[in-house]
Order: sequence, then structure tokens, then C-alpha cells
Amino acid sequence: MTDRPWLTHYPAGVEHELVALPFTTLPELVSRACSDYSDQIAFTQCMPNGMNGSLRYSEVDELSTAFAAYLREDLGLAQGTRVAVQMPNCLAYPVVAFGVLKAGCVLVNTNPLYTAREMIHQFTDSGAEVLVIIDMFADRLPEVVKATGISTVVTVRIAEFFPPVIAGIIRLVQKWWNRTLPTIEVEHTSFTEALDRGRASAGRSSGYLDGVGPDTLAALQYTGGTTGVSKGAMLTHGNLVSNTLQMLQMLGGHIRPGQEVVLTALPLYHIFAFTVNLIGFLHMGARNILVPSPRPPSNLKRAFENYRITWTTGVNTLFNALLNERWFVESPPKHLVGSAAGGMALHQSVAERWRDVTGTPIVEGYGLTETSPVLTFNPLGGLVKDGTIGIPVPSTDVRCLTESGAEAAVGEAGELVARGPQIMAGYWQRADDTAEAIIDGWFHTGDIAERDADGYFTIVDRKKDMVLVSGFNVYPNEVEEHIAALPGVLEVGVVGLPDDKTGEAVRAYVVPIDPKPTAEQIIAHCREGLAAYKVPKSVRFVDELPKSPIGKILRRELRAEAVTSATATIETQGRELS
Amino acid sequence: MIAAPLIIATQTVVNEQDVVTPFEQTLLVGLVFVIMFGLGAGLTPRDFRLAIRRPWGLIIGFVTQFGIMPLLAYVLVVTVLFTLPREYALPVAIGALLMGCVPAGTTSNIFTYFSKGNLALSVIMTTNSTLWAILMTPLLLALYGGLIFDADSELQIPVLNIVVTLATLLIPVVAGMILRKYSANVGAVMELLGGFFGLFFIVFLMATWVPRNWALLTSTPWQTYLVAIGLGLFGIAIAYGIARAIRLHPMNARTIGLETGIQNGPLAIAIVLLTFSGSPDIGLILIVPALYSLFIVIVSTVVTFWFRRANTAEEQKIPNLL
Repeated sequence: MTDRPWLTHYPAGVEHELVALPFTTLPELVSRACSDYSDQIAFTQCMPNGMNGSLRYSEVDELSTAFAAYLREDLGLAQGTRVAVQMPNCLAYPVVAFGVLKAGCVLVNTNPLYTAREMIHQFTDSGAEVLVIIDMFADRLPEVVKATGISTVVTVRIAEFFPPVIAGIIRLVQKWWNRTLPTIEVEHTSFTEALDRGRASAGRSSGYLDGVGPDTLAALQYTGGTTGVSKGAMLTHGNLVSNTLQMLQMLGGHIRPGQEVVLTALPLYHIFAFTVNLIGFLHMGARNILVPSPRPPSNLKRAFENYRITWTTGVNTLFNALLNERWFVESPPKHLVGSAAGGMALHQSVAERWRDVTGTPIVEGYGLTETSPVLTFNPLGGLVKDGTIGIPVPSTDVRCLTESGAEAAVGEAGELVARGPQIMAGYWQRADDTAEAIIDGWFHTGDIAERDADGYFTIVDRKKDMVLVSGFNVYPNEVEEHIAALPGVLEVGVVGLPDDKTGEAVRAYVVPIDPKPTAEQIIAHCREGLAAYKVPKSVRFVDELPKSPIGKILRRELRAEAVTSATATIETQGRELS
Repeated sequence: MIAAPLIIATQTVVNEQDVVTPFEQTLLVGLVFVIMFGLGAGLTPRDFRLAIRRPWGLIIGFVTQFGIMPLLAYVLVVTVLFTLPREYALPVAIGALLMGCVPAGTTSNIFTYFSKGNLALSVIMTTNSTLWAILMTPLLLALYGGLIFDADSELQIPVLNIVVTLATLLIPVVAGMILRKYSANVGAVMELLGGFFGLFFIVFLMATWVPRNWALLTSTPWQTYLVAIGLGLFGIAIAYGIARAIRLHPMNARTIGLETGIQNGPLAIAIVLLTFSGSPDIGLILIVPALYSLFIVIVSTVVTFWFRRANTAEEQKIPNLL
């Protein structure tokens, strides 16, 4: 039995172990919520201009059952068939995702911004046979369908399930004003038609879920773009149900059943929003406010104006962006109860300002796609330590291992490894990668962390983002956090670049706002708080930092750009602001 | 308010029926109501709180909107228009002053969008100046009107009537706000329609009003054209120049320029129609607001092209529907 020093910090009333699962599969969880809260609104999609549509729990249940019937009866899919789903947050998403799961098929979440090349890789690797895609991105289809095993394409409109007049206006605007609707050049079925066919064939047979249990594969969640090849993390029904309940158990009584309104600005195809917002808050009978795109952050204004948002989830970038919007700061949401941050390190300065502006707590959690995703959380209602990722959720063991494989001492950095019911079954069809990542039941995260005496963990950095300056380890997170505290710094990304003298040198990319600091000021500020080898050797000002779909700053792209521009000797001049 | 008939010696006699038919009057006022309704549908009570509390950009907007534009209108009237016979120039001057004193128009938001300006700032400035207009427009008209018209002159600016008209036009704004609270969907549709009708208004003017009043337009002296066109053009240039001079971000400077120069033409026309109804001078009073509304589209388009060429370095996030 591993020592779990953090258990004493669980808030009163939080069980130390995960309670016996009341469900064995996700469809059971979904059906229960839909019958418990049937007349309540489950999802509302809010467009930037305030146009909206909603679905009740009972409608979500009925529609997803129809979609499941379409997959199994009309298309004749077998249990376990992979169905790729590629759309931004919209009302169709929960219907499709739950439909796929109810059909006993496997959900393959796909980023809608993927290029044809990335789509081809993901669909080939997963062996997806059906693709449900938003019509706006259908221009990539001819190339993709030709090169993959996709045999059926279902197209979804952004305003699916909106009142007809509103849906019509949105479509007109998309078609004639924004011109974002490409002609679909492959054979396809509209979502409406798929649902009609599903309804017509419903009840023809049953038992789509026979044999489906906690160990059955529920979703292939692709990850690992940082290493080049994207791999499918095999998440089972047991993984996702367990993690949902672990997360909720940790948040204790702060989520009131049937009463919450949660803002879902992060994309549902990402594991964080999928487990926490889609499954977790659905289980609690909340109303999910789906925002198709949180960028620019003014897109969230109407959602905050028109709905009594009580919970929000996000990443550092999103919270920071909102704190830089005047309408948000001057008139923060009145009904907010709490916010959960994840996906990337939450800067202390952002956490403090968020509490200050909204008057409500924000807690940071941590996890990876491979862990469904939640591993640790700061205990809401207990001791919250900013800058840490908190303590492991129930039934989860977390340790830091040194290079030699021994458990690191308190305060010593080492690779974070974890064990628990939320750890994936492995990487899809990649036994070698799986064997490398899961050793004796412990999942190796690739993150460097340290544990304090209370059992709180702090992420130092990604193993592969570490910069080696003259033999010293520099963790970009630490330098970024320090620079971000300087006024006039909106966002910052720190990377290591090859250097003749020191092996690698630190460079900071800064997005400035007024009052704009100079490079000299930033370096001087770093000298004050950081050891000399951690101080950036150069500072570049840019308009924007490259980001992942959820807003994580992509250091590898910064590095790539720096290296390219260095060889071209232009040194990113074109992008610099004077 | 009925002013005594004037004898216009040098110009074609214009009467109300010719300039705007009753049908057009109803339609124009109706359009303005929809436009104002759309403006209201985009507002929440918290916008008012913010409008009161937010300082910089809005102070500048306020100063350029209610400082520069009325003054510019006054200067143009005195230096350009008053070279013409007074019987003609005075009623035209009323329209010109009114055009300078009305708040910003919603079409400025569209041009801001295309010139890659700061759309949020533009919307807030339009809203802000519209709210202040109920106080500032009559006040400024009284001020500059007093400078132009003698107290015993027969032609006066009916300030009180204008207050009443503005208050009436605020009714749809309030209605829009209330409606939007009950249905965000209807609110968003009204907001879209309001912006659309802002442009439709111009199309309507060109299609029906221009051909029918061709004789009037061709007999209108160049000085009147200069006032109508110059008000928008110089307004944009001066506000942009000031914003750049005090080192605002070029994106915000473009926004402030367009926001200042682009006035609410339909509102000015509606005010004329509603307050000078029955006056024999209504045709002449209308001429600057009408010409301004026509030419501002051309002026703004040219300026937008220039802004886009001059400022391609800074990219704005496109506030698209999604």
C-alpha cells in the first residue's frame, strides 16, 4: 500500500476511495441523468451574437437513441466500430457522442481544425468507418475520404436544433456573408436525415450494448502531437465513468444537483471538457452553455450576459484573456460559484486576479488525455495551494520518480507517475509505446514534478521542454510565470534555442499590451527574481503565440519558428512590434 | 413648429410633397425605428454601467463626437454655406448643424469591421454617443443655433421639439433592450436587421429619392455639396489625426476616425421629418442630411480602402459569426 499523505487534506465528507460505481458504462450514466432531469435544459448553444438553441435532457436521450439506431440498423455497424466525430461545440455534439456510445461503437474525437493530412493519419490509424463532420470544414473531404476507410459521411450544421428561423438566418450569414460553407463534394447524409432514418428503424433490434462493460473501449482520444506521431489513447467506459465520479467526489457538495449552469468554452472534443463538462456536469443535471469558439474572447460576452453562469472551466489562456476584457472585469458574472482550471499551468497571477475580480474560488487540476484526464485537483473547500496541481483524486496514487527510478524525496523533482482506475488501457495498436508508458501499472506522464510534505504536487515542467543552459536545468514554466507577472505582458512563451556557448539559450516570446515593456526591462525584471542562467538571453515581441485548440501555448512551434527564422537570418523581424 | 414662409428668390421652389412623399416619410421613420430597435437589442443594463465608468476611449469618443463634429459643421456653415444668399443658406444650415450634432451611426460599425478596426470600441462608442445624444444634441443645437440665428429671426431651431423627437426615438431602444431580455434570439435578429436596414436606408435613398429630386440636386450649389461631403471626410480626418497624435493604437485611431465622421444620417432625417413637418423649408433643411447620408457611404468606402492599405501590418481577429 502506497503512502497517501494527502488524504488528511481531503475536505470533510470526501470519501478517500472512489465509491462503488453506480454505472458500468457511459450510456447507463447518460440515461440515468436524462431520466432524472428529463424536463430540464441540458444544453444551450450560444453564438457570439446571442442567437441560441437548446435541448432538454429528454430530447438528448431521444435524439441520441435515434442516432444510435441509425448507426446500428441503417448503416449496419458492428459493436466496436470506430466513428470519428469532428465538430466544434454545438448541440449536435452530445447527440452524436452519446449516440455513438449507445450504439456500442467507439468515439474518435477529432479536432475540426485539422488539416487533411492530420485527418488522414487519425482516421487511418483508428480505422474509423464513419465520419460525422461539421459542414464548414467539408472542403477537406474529397482528399480524406479517398485516402481512408471512411465509408459514410454525415454532415452536421452549426445551428442544428435551433429554432428554424434563427437556424435559417445563421445559415444565410454563413453562406453569403462569411462564405464559410464549402460545397460538399463527396457522397454524404445530412444529420437530420440520419436521425429520421434512425427513428424509422429504431426498435428493429436491441442489445447494442450486450457485452459492453467497464473494460470495453469507449473512446480513442488522440494525443502526443508533441512527439510528432499522434497516438490514440484507449479510454474505456470504466476509465471515463470512474474519472467523472472521482472528479465530482473531489469537488464535493459544491456542484448542486440540477441547479448549475456551466460555461463550456473549451472544445468538447478535448478530454478535459469531455469528461468534466459533458459527462460530469450532465451527471449532475447541469445546463451546459456551449460556445462554438471562445476566440476572440468577446465571443463569450453574450453567454455571460444571457445566462446565469455558475461554473466555468478553462485553461490559463482563457482566464487570462477574460481578465483582459473590460466588459468582463467591470461586470463579472454575479452567480458564479467556482471555476476549474486545467490543460496547462494556471499562473499564480491569473489565479489571484480571477479570485479578486469574480470573488469566487478557482482550483487547478491536472491530468492527461491518457488519464481520462483528471489525476489531481486542489480540494475546493479544503486547503488550496496556488501554483500546485493539488492532491490526487480518490483511489489514485501519484509519485515522482528520479532518473534512477527511485521515489523522489519531498521537494525533489522527478517524473510524475500515476496509478488508478482512470489510466487508459494503452495506446491503440501501439504495444511498444504502451509498454514504455505504462510500467507495472504505473503510467509515466513525462512531466517533471515535485511533492511537498502535505502531498501537494507541483509541476515543474514537461520533460521535453526543459532547457539545458550550460548544464543547468531551466524550466520554461518558471521563467514564464516570472515574466507574466510584469505589467504589460499579456502572454509569454519561453523556449530553448541552440547556442554556441551555452549549448542552449533561453528565449522569451512576449505578447505585449500597454504599457509595453522593453526587452531590457523584461531582462532586468528576470535578473531580479531568477538565477542568472535562467534569465532569457533574448526577448522577441510578437502579436500572437501559437496555441493548441484549447489554448495551450505551443513551445515546439515557437522553437521551430525561431530555428527557421535564424537560418533565414531575418530573425522574426516581420512579426515584431516596434 | 411652423415657421413663416420664406420667399426663395434664387432657388427653385421646393415644397414638402416633392422632397419626401408621405409614403417615404412613413417608411423612413419606420426604418429608423427598426434601426434604433436593433441598437437597443444589443444593449444590457450593464452596458450603461460600463459606459459611465469607462474612461479613455470613450472620453475621446465623446469629445470628437460632440466636440469636433458640431464645431466642424458650424465652421463649414459659416465659411462655406454663408457665401450663399441667406434665404437659402439658413434653412440648409439647420440641416447641416443637425447633421453635426446627431450621434454616431450604426454603419460605422460595419466600416470599422472592414477597415480592421476595433469593433468592440466602435459598438461601445455608437451606443455611448446615442445615449448622450438626448442631452447633447439639443444642447449643442441651441448653442450653435444661437450663434447663427438672431433671437428674433423667423427661422428657429425647435430645440424642444427635437428633445421630444429624440425621446420618442429612444422608445424603440428601450423596447429592444426589454425584448432582448426575454428572447436573446429575437434580440439578435433585430440587431442584425438594424445593421442591415442602416445600409438599406442608403440604397432606398439612391433608388427613389435621388431620381425624383434630380432637379433639386442639380440646382444645388457646390457649397452645399462641400458642406455635406466635408462634414464626413474632414470629421474622419481630424478625429483620426488627433487619435494618432495622442499615440493611440492605429487600430483604435481608425475606429475613432470612422466613428466620429460617420453620423447617424437616418436619425437626422427622421428628426427633420418629425419636427419640421409642415414647414415649407423642410426640403432645404433635409438637403444636407440627405446628401450627407448618400456621400458618407462613398467617403467611408474610400477611407476604408486607404486604412486597409495603410495598416495591413496589424491583423485584427475577425469577429465572425462563429
